[in-house]
Amino acid sequence: MRTLKVDWPACRARGLCFEVLPEVVRLDDWGYPVVEGPVTDDLLGSAREAVRMCPQLALRLVKG
Amino acid sequence: MTSVVTLGRGPLLLAGSGPELGEHRRRWGPLARFSATELVARCRALDLRGRGGAGFPLADKLGAVARGRGRPVVVVNLSEGEPASHKDVTLARTSPHLLLDGAVATARAVGARQVHLVTGPQGVAELEQAVGQREERLRFTFHRAADLFVAGQSAAVLELVAGRPNLPVTTWQPSAHSGLRGRPTLLSNAETFAVAGVLATAGPEAVLRHGTPLEPGTTLLSLDGDGPPATRQVVEVAHGTRWGAVLPPSRLDAPVLLGGYHGTWAPAGALHDLPVSRRALAGAGLTLGAGVVLPSDGRCAVRRTAELLDYLASQSARRSGPCLNGLPALASAFREVVDGRPRLDEVRRLAGRVDGRGACAHPDGTARLVRSLLVACPDAVDGHVEGRCCR
Ligand code: SF4
Ligand code: SF4
Repeated sequence: MRTLKVDWPACRARGLCFEVLPEVVRLDDWGYPVVEGPVTDDLLGSAREAVRMCPQLALRLVKG
Repeated sequence: MTSVVTLGRGPLLLAGSGPELGEHRRRWGPLARFSATELVARCRALDLRGRGGAGFPLADKLGAVARGRGRPVVVVNLSEGEPASHKDVTLARTSPHLLLDGAVATARAVGARQVHLVTGPQGVAELEQAVGQREERLRFTFHRAADLFVAGQSAAVLELVAGRPNLPVTTWQPSAHSGLRGRPTLLSNAETFAVAGVLATAGPEAVLRHGTPLEPGTTLLSLDGDGPPATRQVVEVAHGTRWGAVLPPSRLDAPVLLGGYHGTWAPAGALHDLPVSRRALAGAGLTLGAGVVLPSDGRCAVRRTAELLDYLASQSARRSGPCLNGLPALASAFREVVDGRPRLDEVRRLAGRVDGRGACAHPDGTARLVRSLLVACPDAVDGHVEGRCCR
């Protein structure tokens, strides 16, 4: 199982991760991502895309 | 000002052999050499855990560092970013060679040649003097942490040692595998190294003479550490000691904040029946953290929490969005509760919004503090919501 981890000091609340992966990511009161639960196998492709798309390079897929 | 704390006394770590190496050796005996495997086994036998707050088993860290790739580095953290914590500086002033013995024994065991000593902003003269007397073939380097609450977090300490700003950063891997410049890095709290120092000199029996079979040894506590200087104390108590022997029973009748500003409130009277034991406290939903103990006495725990939340919000290093936005929002929602407005659900929601969402544990600790108050002092909190403060 993989989880999406955010590099918080790098994240600038642009919200692209939410657009690419709404199944796992919501946005909080200030536009920062809220990661809800692990990335299941069927979402792995979109999760990788979110990691690639993040303009701040603030996302990583980590094990566990 | 840490310098005004009266030097503590205690049965083991604070027994105090001073900064003279000769006297220290006479009291503790020669420093034994251990392989990594031997030291891991000894730490495991004593269930020696990190004394910086997280309580991670030292044996696991040591094992991971010894197995890592590249030459390891040892980092002794005595920076105590928390204003109410004075135990590490007291230890370093009272028994500097004991913590150096622990650092040397671990460095030799894992094959490190470099030991970094990270103190608070003022430095510790006794420790500098003690290092000057050591003859091991190791390089000791001093660093002074910034005067910031989060400066002592391990990721921030590693940044400082690497020559970057003393602020937490996101870590993707445990530092035991890949810390300073990618090297396996053994970072632990000064008190942890001092216990390792006892192991490597007098031996495990000296630790086992104190505490309980499950939790051998002692723990250092900073009492009233943010009160007027004359009342601040650092004490060393054996694990299993009743709280009634640490604080006058009358002070246990009021809520006590255990584990400092990132800690948990013990309900009024709850500590009467509990020992100083991480296990027993965890069973009661409490944490001892780095040993900061703040009795509330006559003061209202709700107001005290509001002040602490304001302070903690001001201490966000302002790098992580949810932390820099969320902590002030949480503090101000809590202020409204104090002033008698029904905003408890919002406080709970915001605590959930910050928890786990920062580069360091600052938001998590802040959420823990406020949640523990709601559990420990429900009547006082309700009293505020209904417009009557308890005091
Ligand atoms: S896309 Fe990147 S920068 Fe934007 S909100 Fe998501 S994590 Fe933050
Ligand atoms: S969580 Fe807060 S205190 Fe910690 S690094 Fe991020 S902004 Fe700074």
